[in-house]
Amino acid sequence: MRALVRLLAVAALAAAAARVSAAPATAPAPPAPAPRPKAAAPARPAAAAPSAANPYHLKAGAQGKVCLNCHSDIGDLLAQPFVHAPVKAGNCVQCHSPHASSHGKLLAAAPGAICATCHAPMAAAAVAKARSVHPPVRAGECIKCHDPHAAKNKGQLRLAGSELCASCHGDMLKRIAALKFKHPPVAASCEACHDPHASDANPHLLKKAVPGICTQCHKVDQPAFAKQHMNYPVGKADCTSCHDPHGSDRAGLLWMTVHPPVANRMCNQCHLDAATPGALTTRKSGAELCRSCHSEMVNTTLGKNRVHWPAVDKVGCLNCHNPHASPQPALLKAKTKDLCASCHTATVDELDRSAVKHPPAEEGQCTACHDPHASNAVFLLTSDKVMDVCGTCHDYAHHSNHPIGEKKIDPRNRNLTLDCISCHRPHGSPYKTFAHFNTDSDLCVQCHQGMGK
Amino acid sequence: MRGARRFVALLAGVAVAGSVATGPALLVRAAEPVGLRALPALYEDGKGTGLRTPESVAFDGAKRLAVADTGNGRVVLYDVAGEKITPGAEIRLPEIPSPLQARFAPDGGLLVLDGRLKKIARLTAAGQFKSYLVVQEEGARTPLVPRSFRVGADGAVFILDVAQGRVVVLGPDDRIRRQMAVPKDARGLSDLALDARGVVYALESVGRRVLVARPDDAAFAVFAAIEADVAFPTALSVDEFGRLAVADESGGGIVFLGPDGSFRGRQSSMGWKEGLLRSPSGLAAGPPGLLFVADRGNNRIAVFSVSK
Repeated sequence: MRALVRLLAVAALAAAAARVSAAPATAPAPPAPAPRPKAAAPARPAAAAPSAANPYHLKAGAQGKVCLNCHSDIGDLLAQPFVHAPVKAGNCVQCHSPHASSHGKLLAAAPGAICATCHAPMAAAAVAKARSVHPPVRAGECIKCHDPHAAKNKGQLRLAGSELCASCHGDMLKRIAALKFKHPPVAASCEACHDPHASDANPHLLKKAVPGICTQCHKVDQPAFAKQHMNYPVGKADCTSCHDPHGSDRAGLLWMTVHPPVANRMCNQCHLDAATPGALTTRKSGAELCRSCHSEMVNTTLGKNRVHWPAVDKVGCLNCHNPHASPQPALLKAKTKDLCASCHTATVDELDRSAVKHPPAEEGQCTACHDPHASNAVFLLTSDKVMDVCGTCHDYAHHSNHPIGEKKIDPRNRNLTLDCISCHRPHGSPYKTFAHFNTDSDLCVQCHQGMGK
Repeated sequence: MRGARRFVALLAGVAVAGSVATGPALLVRAAEPVGLRALPALYEDGKGTGLRTPESVAFDGAKRLAVADTGNGRVVLYDVAGEKITPGAEIRLPEIPSPLQARFAPDGGLLVLDGRLKKIARLTAAGQFKSYLVVQEEGARTPLVPRSFRVGADGAVFILDVAQGRVVVLGPDDRIRRQMAVPKDARGLSDLALDARGVVYALESVGRRVLVARPDDAAFAVFAAIEADVAFPTALSVDEFGRLAVADESGGGIVFLGPDGSFRGRQSSMGWKEGLLRSPSGLAAGPPGLLFVADRGNNRIAVFSVSK
């Protein structure tokens, strides 16, 4: 049996060699070597090597044309100014398997992987090491931006410049377009600052880290720059702590919410004088610095029974607030829910997993029920009576006639009285009305255990 | 994967528990999962006044238990004789309007951390106010803010100072005689525990790690990463075997770690009935085989018998 297989293999090789030798001398030059030789190729003698460029043994002159017999639209694309090299070479099989494939469009491999066979920097291993990666790149969706055959734009981009970015980031570009003060490079192209694929070392796909990317254009040793920054040595500071790199309605591209001392150019209210060595050092640290102006707020916070501990740690108020400027109200470093989730991850994850969510929690209005600074109540609730917190929005009189209140002892625990959270989870739950249990009967028998007897 | 990690941790515990727990004052146990059995909980003081949002609990190592009954603005004492616990007197003082933690001093007195004042008060054994602990530190940029504290066998006070991200050890003159830095990436430090050998453990609520500093260490190192086992841990205790208990406040449970940091099980869950927990916020290892839990959301002190 094995001898028979060998015999057939030799015969096949001989036939292939004969076909190669019969090819006319005027046959078109073979395109770039295909990356996926057929199974029999390694066994071929060296003399048959050119056929690796013609792995399907097409007739002379058919290479690059036979596909177009049916796919005539591809032929039209060849008139575009930027054509993918394999397409231009007529080497359709560099990406497609002409007979069958496990992938859509008869691709020879998964879409992202097939691009990476030639475009190595986009390979999964390279992407995995990058600090930030454009989501379509990570997902192997190269064709979201690039036409794999041909396009009017360089790099076979489907659209030119920022127009392409707008196809996903439309809201951002609309916002930027409406701004009073625009950052000129943004108007020119997003690629001035961002790498559209990945950034090995920087967040947000930045080509260089802040402030290096800013100081390429903004020369920090220029007198005008120094004057604008009150002679503070900000050359190595984080420019985005004050400035919106995309543009702003505020002069100087400041974020929309600006800390008054920054707006009034009174940097020395918090920092040492500009001429002092280490001028950017703050005069005090933590909440003590903020207390200089916000004494009432800090004193109130520190005077309550329970403080939000980050407010009094080494970083203090700056755990949640940006001291210079912010796109968020109250100089918050992020949207409330994101900010709270940065520490209370499990709580927000549980909320996100809940089928039934309490609207304020879902909408990130954590401060509707919790005081983010301090409170006399557990969980930093805005009142030490749960029913008062809930009563801000809900009227129990219109809810149920179930006994509830400070005089109604919870049958499960003699030290508890019945309130809203006796039955409901305040953030959300898998069950209707964000109840603790799935069915009414499951919930009720927690206390009414004799009802089924 | 999580199961596999625990299994490997358990095996590691078997391999090293003997060598780790052979300090002068620790008993040696095999690396077995820790089990809990609920005993009757503590609901009130000797006059029948119910507890309200108790934040912490402490045991003096012999026969007294102190509960920081925060919601009622008082400390409640109990007498402990084996599994029999008798409620005693309350301590209600204007100098400690919102007690968060109460710890016993070797002389029988109490030290109480007040949440509103953010100060530690010294009380006599009879429960009278003596003084506030005033840390003597020259050139400090920010005042010390105690988040938690423990008292050593020699009376040294170990304070978790969140203002400067460190643990300081005060001698009897309130001067800092030692301080230990925490890792720069530590997030949300919330509690301390001190074992019989003088090893200090610190808990990160946000980072969900337990840190350790041995008696001669100048800084804490990571002892165990428990992010897969807890949601938001806020309290820590260590028993006579060197086993750590971690209270998961958001998750309503207790996680046990071996003396080598290996996972030894998670017990209890969120609920109202005895044996279940709602926002456990304080832990104390009691007489051998007992664990006290400040079950804040249930307004009680849960008592558990712990498997040996």
